Amino acid sequence: MKMFKIILAALLVILALVITASALTTRGTLPTLLERMDPENLAAQDAAMQKAKDRVTTALAENNPERAQRSLDRYINGFSAQLTLSGRVGYDLFFFRNGPSMLALALFLVVAAAGLIAHALDRSGRVRKLVLPAILITVLYVGVYIVENIAGANSMLMTVLKKGAIYALLAVSMNLLNGFTGLFSLGQAGFMLIGAYTYAIFSIETQSRAQVYQYYAGGIIQFQLPALVSIALAGLAAALFAFLIGWPVLRLKSDYLAIATLGFAEIIRAIFQYDGLGPLTNGSNLLRKFTVFDTALFPFAVAGVCIALIALLIHSTYGRSFKAIRDDEVAAEAMGINLYAHKQMAFVISSFFAGVGGALLAMYQTTVQAAAFTSAMTYEILLIVVIGGMGSISGSVIASFLFVAASEWWLRFLDNETMLGSFRVPLLRSGFRMVVFSVVIMAVVLFYRKGIMGDRELSLGRFRRRLSHRRKGGAQDG
Amino acid sequence: MTEFISANLPYLLAGISVGGQYALIAIGYTMVYGILRLINFAHGDIFTVAAYCMVYMNATMPLYISLPLTIVFTVALGLAVERVAYKPLRDAPRMSIMISAIGVSYLLQNLMWYVTGGLAQQYPTIPWISSTISIYTATTKMVTLVTPVLTLVLVVLLVQLIKHTKIGMAMRAVSRDFETSRLMGIKINGVISVTFAIGSFLAAVGSMLYFSNYTAVTPTAGAMPGLKAFVAAVFGGIGSIPGAVIGAFIIGIAENIIKALGWTAFSDAFTFALLIVILIFKPTGLFGEAVHEKV
Repeated sequence: MKMFKIILAALLVILALVITASALTTRGTLPTLLERMDPENLAAQDAAMQKAKDRVTTALAENNPERAQRSLDRYINGFSAQLTLSGRVGYDLFFFRNGPSMLALALFLVVAAAGLIAHALDRSGRVRKLVLPAILITVLYVGVYIVENIAGANSMLMTVLKKGAIYALLAVSMNLLNGFTGLFSLGQAGFMLIGAYTYAIFSIETQSRAQVYQYYAGGIIQFQLPALVSIALAGLAAALFAFLIGWPVLRLKSDYLAIATLGFAEIIRAIFQYDGLGPLTNGSNLLRKFTVFDTALFPFAVAGVCIALIALLIHSTYGRSFKAIRDDEVAAEAMGINLYAHKQMAFVISSFFAGVGGALLAMYQTTVQAAAFTSAMTYEILLIVVIGGMGSISGSVIASFLFVAASEWWLRFLDNETMLGSFRVPLLRSGFRMVVFSVVIMAVVLFYRKGIMGDRELSLGRFRRRLSHRRKGGAQDG
Repeated sequence: MTEFISANLPYLLAGISVGGQYALIAIGYTMVYGILRLINFAHGDIFTVAAYCMVYMNATMPLYISLPLTIVFTVALGLAVERVAYKPLRDAPRMSIMISAIGVSYLLQNLMWYVTGGLAQQYPTIPWISSTISIYTATTKMVTLVTPVLTLVLVVLLVQLIKHTKIGMAMRAVSRDFETSRLMGIKINGVISVTFAIGSFLAAVGSMLYFSNYTAVTPTAGAMPGLKAFVAAVFGGIGSIPGAVIGAFIIGIAENIIKALGWTAFSDAFTFALLIVILIFKPTGLFGEAVHEKV
């Protein structure tokens, strides 16, 4: 059984390598293949085959089976060569078109293989517990892929899924700070802005820079970095900034911290719109023409990995220290937790992921402008965190999708004037959606203070236990 | 010298005027914070609602009715917000109340957006204060001169109220120690309501003065002055009324000096930079009392 798993894992790795190789070489091989597919070449081949076929007919008429056999072989060879060629071209074209998703598939296969090996070599049974979640996550991603192909990339459902995934990352990063460490920070929009701008600045197409930076002589950066590198840089820029402002800001207590971080976000917004930085930030004009994602799997993958990292952090020793600081700062310090170092750490890490989320948001919007990153944006994400439950990662994720779906989709009808027969439904007009929506939010904040999840996590174990409990209870009642 | 004065006088006047308007908003922040330890994020939006109220009422009513009615409506709104959004959370953690305040701000902004259709509205001209006058070489509106005077009068009245009346004494007691004053038989809810009423009244007056100068009213027009007034309150030492007033004048004047220097883009950023500097070096502000944390 163990050998079987390892062999399967090896096969998966080989498959992944083949896919990677194909995806990476297809750009090079495609031109030569197309050259061979050239209509002129094909016409010559067709003529040769026609000739071979004619020869078969004449050989048969001359009653010369040997010659007929040879000509037939030649004819069939030519035919299968053409088939192979078109197969090759089809294969390469497929990888040419789906390169990034194929690389993602290869990565997934490698991860799956690693999981299989871990499962085979596992003695403690810890990996066994992860099998079901891993399968569920796979199903989720495959589901998103399938839905995207059925519903179309621009459908409302996909809009909600894409934006929801990005907001999930932003909400979880804010939750790390507000819900798990107890630092009431309102600087999220500022860090998102840094992330979005860093990403945009580094990934604008080189040939479009003159057009984008038309008022600033093409800008000062004249190169383009790959999307993933730019995203990492976006996170690092936000983290660096958080590191710098953390020194003064984190010494402040609760609401002073809130107002100081809010102030920093406003300062960042003013700086990025400053004319003097125009060659870098394009002043108060839009940044556009940067790399964007064309499949929802991209934000799902990036946000998924980031949220997983935050979850791992929260379940580590550091995470327990964060919670101790949240629950009682004085007691935590007495236990030997370095308050400042841990606060700084939570602040920098949270800002890193806020920066990454900002970069994803820029990709989603396809343009960025500093003026949009107001404190209202921070409030929106804070409200998501509250609705999901302060101190619950799964709560934040669920609330993000609900929030985005409700505001972008489900409540849309409230914005349209509707006639029932000749009766005009009162109140329904542009803007009513957001009023209803904010009333719902207020209701949650006031009457349902713990939010969807409180500080618990969505857990399969608890779900299973509850099910079995209910079954037992039902049996007793019966 | 005269050139220098004539070049800078308009900015100085604008600074004093806007400082007075910030002061009127800042008092609302500082009083609520003094009593509830709550940053009332919705205060800036109440300020904007007052402006809209004036716009709509003035369209149908003469000024001598719409003006007092606006004030009454704003005070009622302030009381309603307190009753609905803050009172149920009296014993909840501070973070929850602050989140509730943010929720109210979000709600009010969306509500204003819905009612007005998001278009900027022209603020009505109030006779006399909107008339233009010239002082020395600078031409300005009467409101520029009225604001500081009116602000000072109102502040003096307020300070008298707090120092010499029973309700004022109750307010001082509650802001010193919430729990103990409750035990001493002070009706906390009444005191809090009065605080919100005073804050909203001053915000309504401030909004009339402010929007007589900057005549376009949009649903988010109050957010920035609100935040700046809050900064002023922190700058002066939150909980202290004279502190809030002085802080507001300093910020209003400094902001306009920055504009005079040609750094208009940074006038907002400067306010927040000032806030951060003061928080680092004197976290309790100019006139605030030091708070010691007890285990």
